[in-house]
Amino acid sequence: MRCIRCKAPANVEVRRHRSAFCSGCYPGWFRNQVQRAIESEGMFGRDDKVLVAISGGKDSLALWHALLQLGYQADGMYIRLGIGNYSQHSQSASERFAAKHGLALHQVDLKEEYGFVVPQLRNQREGKPCAACGTVKRYHFNKVAVDLGYDVVATGHNLDDEAATLFGNVIHWQTDFLGRQGPVLASTHPKLARKVKPLFRLAERDTAAYAVIERIDYILEECPMAVGAKSLEYKDLLNALEERQPGLKQRFLVGFLRGGRKALAGRQEPALIRECRECGQPTTGEVCSYCRMRQRKRRQVESRMAARGS
Amino acid sequence: MKVTILPAREIREAAAADVGQLLKELKLHQDAYLVIRSDQILTRDVQLKSTDEVEIWPVISGGQG
Ligand code: SF4
Ligand SMILES: [Zn+2]
Ligand SMILES: [Zn+2]
Repeated sequence: MRCIRCKAPANVEVRRHRSAFCSGCYPGWFRNQVQRAIESEGMFGRDDKVLVAISGGKDSLALWHALLQLGYQADGMYIRLGIGNYSQHSQSASERFAAKHGLALHQVDLKEEYGFVVPQLRNQREGKPCAACGTVKRYHFNKVAVDLGYDVVATGHNLDDEAATLFGNVIHWQTDFLGRQGPVLASTHPKLARKVKPLFRLAERDTAAYAVIERIDYILEECPMAVGAKSLEYKDLLNALEERQPGLKQRFLVGFLRGGRKALAGRQEPALIRECRECGQPTTGEVCSYCRMRQRKRRQVESRMAARGS
Repeated sequence: MKVTILPAREIREAAAADVGQLLKELKLHQDAYLVIRSDQILTRDVQLKSTDEVEIWPVISGGQG
């Protein structure tokens, strides 16, 4: 296979686009895709301050790297989730990247500042803390962005992530989630940051190839809580189909964003946002889901202690 | 050829003639892996020799975040 730009032997094939690139031409193509996503979805401009949600994995570091190369003002933010060795390794990869490029990396330490770690948030039924972990991440990324005056929070969600989420939401007919799924989530309250996903049209394999070619030192290690996650099953299924029908993942997602989503979004009342009674962060209820989750955990701990004491 | 599968660095022997066939032989999806030889990513049509040493890097991350 030859590079479609310079005809040198290719290194990375992008089958769904019927193209291939050498290591020299590939990063330019990748960043161009990111640039086009930012522009076509009106995500942010060069004067905006962007906060990138960093996990130490390939997607978030590739995104940060690409944004800087494209000339955007992007700082990072990392949450110390307290998931054993995985958290230690992901924190050091994130810090190494920030130090190497001389960038600001804001950090929140759940244990030090809030007195809990993610593994304590395991759901009794599924045995996984992922739903609660998602709430924790959304809450803190938003809070730091608003407190420090960032215009937008960018996450490294890629095409495979978005297609798997869409697949899950369709399988379970989560129409309210479907109405909101997309590459841009507008701010509907002064304390709610705008959220964007500039990698949503790039496959997971594309971001990994970018990270390898640009010699980004990311962690290959996975969060141990991810083992057996439904999202991984969906990705595997979609990749099996993609093998026989190149472009299927992209058609599934883009088709939904162009057509299906509008039909669903139109039927929903815009939610009224107010400030949480406990913490003042924006929410649709009286108490936000983050505070409710922490109250639930506190009650569980108290009842366990009471049972032990009696 | 000698194949090292990351992240656990599991070592396998394989006999495939090219990269696409190697992934088929190991029952791995093309979109879920990168095949790397001497620091270079290989496209699926690249011919492989029995003396080659290649690495297979998974690209799929899991969980909700
Ligand atoms: S796999 Fe689950 S627990 Fe681990 S970081 Fe992702 S969402 Fe959090
Ligand atoms: Zn080229
Ligand atoms: Zn709250």
